[in-house]
Amino acid sequence: MNTVLSRANSLFAFSLSVMAALTFGCFITTAFKDRRVPVDIHVSKVMLKNVDDFTGPRERSDLGFITFDLSADILLTNICYLFTFLNNTILRLFFLIPGLLNQSQLIYFQINVVLWDKIVLRGENTKLNLRDMKSKYFFFDDGNGLRANKNITLSLSWNVVPNAGILPLVVGHGHVSLPFPEKYETAKSY
Amino acid sequence: MLSIFKSIPTHMDYKGQKLAEQIFQGIILVSAIGFIYGLIVEQFGWTVYIVLAGFAVSCVLTLPPWPMYRKNPLNWQPTVPETSGEPSQKPQENIKKKKHK
Repeated sequence: MNTVLSRANSLFAFSLSVMAALTFGCFITTAFKDRRVPVDIHVSKVMLKNVDDFTGPRERSDLGFITFDLSADILLTNICYLFTFLNNTILRLFFLIPGLLNQSQLIYFQINVVLWDKIVLRGENTKLNLRDMKSKYFFFDDGNGLRANKNITLSLSWNVVPNAGILPLVVGHGHVSLPFPEKYETAKSY
Repeated sequence: MLSIFKSIPTHMDYKGQKLAEQIFQGIILVSAIGFIYGLIVEQFGWTVYIVLAGFAVSCVLTLPPWPMYRKNPLNWQPTVPETSGEPSQKPQENIKKKKHK
């Protein structure tokens, strides 16, 4: 403590310790919150095509198109954000479609496909009310597992990027299961 | 020029050092109350800003050796006049002999 450097050293160290304790407090206040909210998903149109797979020398693969409505209020309250200038206040939404593809009698594949996503920053409107949305990403199946599949489930889940602590993956209440059609759409070009 | 720089006192005495440490610890701990404000407005960034402000204030208050930290100088013993030089010279001679050997 005699020289300026030694005083600066102890001052930095003490400030850093206090800051670490406060960050831990921020983690404690946000880590155990239940962020699940009800989600209302309505599928208005399902279309199935059988197209040439452009990723390899395969045969024709299934490609699904889903048009959906979505309404949910993603609660952002009571979330302490750290370092908003780092622009890490991202809330990502995406659909998970576990498609149970019955390849044989015994083996089931559960596949999660991201159909659509959105980033909601802090301060933006968290009430999602989307009509006639088309999926952002192609819903391909390597094969013909989508046709007449009775168990395709749409759900909405999202990450809340915290200031400190773990990155929770929240799955909203409410999902919709729909059967896929048994016939392909015969449009040649898409 | 050098004499001017040397005439500027840069040290803190012992009580001044203790006072400086207590001051910056107190300021930063008080600024940690900003956590409550950050909790109310639900933005941890405000907590960080408040603690950084406390850090800056305590830097200004305690890093430079202000005169308030030099109010308790050490009371040195008065200089002993070198009249009785024999007891002090003998150890020096011994040291010199050891060095020569």
